[in-house]
Amino acid sequence: MIKLLGAAMVVASSGIGGMTMAGRYSRRPRELKSLGYALQMLETEISYGANHMKVALEQVADRCDQAVAPLFGRAAAELSSAAGITAAAAWENSLCAYYRESALNSQDLIILRSLGSSLGISDRADQIKHLNLAMEQIKSENAKAEDEAARNVKLWNHLGFLGGLLIVLILY
Amino acid sequence: MNGADFINCRANRNSVWVGNEILPVLPVNIRYMISALPGPILDSVEEIRIRQGKPLVLGLSLGDIFVSQEGKPTRQAVEAYHVTAVDMENLIDLISGSSLYALEEELRTGFITLPGGHRAGITGRAVLDGGKVRTLKNLSCCNLRVSREVAGAASGLLPHIVNKRNGGIYHTILVSPPRCGKTTILRDIIRQISSGVPDLLYPGLTVGLVDERSEIAGCYKGVPQRDVGIRTDVLDGCPKAEGMMMLLRSMGPQVIAADEIGRREDVDAMEEVLNAGVKILLTAHGSSLAELAERPVLSRLIRSKMIERYVILGRSRGAGTVENIVDGKTFRAVGVRK
Repeated sequence: MIKLLGAAMVVASSGIGGMTMAGRYSRRPRELKSLGYALQMLETEISYGANHMKVALEQVADRCDQAVAPLFGRAAAELSSAAGITAAAAWENSLCAYYRESALNSQDLIILRSLGSSLGISDRADQIKHLNLAMEQIKSENAKAEDEAARNVKLWNHLGFLGGLLIVLILY
Repeated sequence: MNGADFINCRANRNSVWVGNEILPVLPVNIRYMISALPGPILDSVEEIRIRQGKPLVLGLSLGDIFVSQEGKPTRQAVEAYHVTAVDMENLIDLISGSSLYALEEELRTGFITLPGGHRAGITGRAVLDGGKVRTLKNLSCCNLRVSREVAGAASGLLPHIVNKRNGGIYHTILVSPPRCGKTTILRDIIRQISSGVPDLLYPGLTVGLVDERSEIAGCYKGVPQRDVGIRTDVLDGCPKAEGMMMLLRSMGPQVIAADEIGRREDVDAMEEVLNAGVKILLTAHGSSLAELAERPVLSRLIRSKMIERYVILGRSRGAGTVENIVDGKTFRAVGVRK
């Protein structure tokens, strides 16, 4: 009975491990897609609304997908504080905190970091160029992430449970 | 200790610096240098001049001084902190609230108004479009002009511009070169004529203020942050000529006030107001009435004798000194109250 219980636990934990890995692969394209939409909103706020960066970030945080809202919300909050920090610094702080919780990889981080360094420091046309570049890069990363997800989600889901079963068989 | 803590710990030193208005727009290193200055110097700062590659200069009421890297005042330029390109980038970023794209109109005019009515004049390379300035780039010099609210600054002047016969005021123009307290005096006149002056048994008038550069009332989201009186309606960020006509039509003012007139359309709008039974209270750049008369647009106004009082301001006894008050009809001095 105890052996049976142990075997079930091994299969379950291995299965959960596999699902977690699969979840990470399936979350990244969703987050990248949401991020792309959010940057599109930011572009609209800058190009048509001509809103100040703090207000633009707040508006995007309110309207975008909850998965990426903390990135914009925290950056807006930092800009609102009395610390007198630049948008680049506020974005960087927010990005560091957000990255730890997200499914983004180091390549995505480089794109967002590069965008942050140019936020708000040039005229409208230049800001739009930077945002468009970031959106294009995110789109390309999203295509790659979707491919990876298609290949890996099923793989890790099956691998988790089957791996667990293999361990059980070996131990028996 | 971060920038915010530093500001807060100095909060009780000086009213201008407390409102977190000036310090947060300075790069952190310059913020520390300025904060470390002795209180009396901070109290008399009129402007902070920041030029890339040049010494950090403070314009005080008694002349200029430099600031060293340790935050000590010095008269020697070589001992002063020299502003770097990174400082300049951070400064512009902070002044614009990281929203340079939203300030294209301000860059075209060469300055950005900060919360509280302080003004950041900016120069760099002009980008032209069809022969007109479209914007500025490669920004390399900045002059932060500290705006101060001095309650009672216009008390001595007020009896000369109040018309006791009809309870109104005379059509008045304050004339002064830059840095002579023109805006501060104008703000205090508006405050006093709007709220009333018990000492003069003056009940108060409805004032319409066109605050094109947000310097007089220091509006934030349309609400005045400076005391401009209880009967003052502020039209914030609106071009003067258009604003004067809007106020005239919509708010039924007894007095219309605006800062720094000089364009032809301003004078055209002013003439409309003058002929509509509304009193005007304005300022113009110049060091004397003769100098003002040399400006083609304003000379027409002077010749028309519609303005009743010209108040000439100077710095002979510090900013805001009333040097002369001239009757606009006879062009004779009507007395100076210093």
